[in-house]
Amino acid sequence: MNLRVVAEADLAFILEDGVYGFGWPINVVNPDGASQGLTGYSADIEQLIDDDTGTAVTGRLATAAIRIKTLTIGLPIAIADATKKPWLITFDDINGTEYTFKVQDSAPDRALGIVVVTLELWKS
Amino acid sequence: MVDTIPALMTGEDNFEVVRDQIAGLIKANADEQVILAAAEPDPSLWELRVFTERSNAWEQFVNIDVNDAAANFSPIVNVWFDRSQFPGATGNTVDYQRSSSTFNIDIVGFASSADDGGTGQIPGDQEAALVNQRGIRFVRRILMAAENRHLQLDRTVVGNRWIQSITSFQPQLDSNPAQQIVGSRIAFTVEFLEFAPSADLSNLLEEIRIDVHRTEDGEIVLQQQFGESPP
Repeated sequence: MNLRVVAEADLAFILEDGVYGFGWPINVVNPDGASQGLTGYSADIEQLIDDDTGTAVTGRLATAAIRIKTLTIGLPIAIADATKKPWLITFDDINGTEYTFKVQDSAPDRALGIVVVTLELWKS
Repeated sequence: MVDTIPALMTGEDNFEVVRDQIAGLIKANADEQVILAAAEPDPSLWELRVFTERSNAWEQFVNIDVNDAAANFSPIVNVWFDRSQFPGATGNTVDYQRSSSTFNIDIVGFASSADDGGTGQIPGDQEAALVNQRGIRFVRRILMAAENRHLQLDRTVVGNRWIQSITSFQPQLDSNPAQQIVGSRIAFTVEFLEFAPSADLSNLLEEIRIDVHRTEDGEIVLQQQFGESPP
């Protein structure tokens, strides 16, 4: 079997295993308001890497990684146009507190079928 | 054996007084603006939170809850002393030197993306920049107001004040932090006198000292001392 196809299939275990893996419930809302609940990988940490110095600096970094094949409402991308709604991502932290973020940056890997989105704070 | 300064050194140097006065003027005027804006839809837009010599005053934006109605999103201002330069051609070696000091006034603005209530959104990055620039606007106007020509300090001590530059720090493209924060720095130069501690001057040669004064009717007069040791 083609290894790339195998790698994509493995995303079911890497990203979407919410029982024995690190998969986490994520809700995605597209600019048209369509909502989809799925399992993916979420991160919300308090550390950035300064591009100039390579050192860690304080700053909240929230991201999500989603299997593209699972998405039925479209591919999350950054919407800069203020006349349009953005893509929104919602997930809980480990203590059950819900956070809603706006997609600030999207990095789809169409070869392996995974999209990593960088998130910014969203005022609900 | 050396001569030592006989009196205990207390009180602040003028650079400390000027720094605190800058912060005080910004704070007092911002508070007054909020009162004057009582009839406006959102008087809090005139609010500034003022700090001095803080290394991380904007830390409260890092973990702020954007959905907390009680959270304060007003621009943060931090006034800190940067450097003093003492031109050798002014002042004297005995009792005072003219200082040209730079104070950095950092202004930090925060905002988050939000629904605009219609079919679009309020972009947090742009909003943070606008909040920051609102803070710059207020601080610049306060410091350069005619009333603050001498920072409302003794004009024989504080000579001039001037904004040297305003610099904004744009977020790095690849950092993508969750918070939208924009910072700016106003480099503010103030010229004033720094006084030396009193010393025994009986062994000094005669010194001629001329003081320049402005009388109540605006006339400039010169006062000169002969054959007397400075106080």
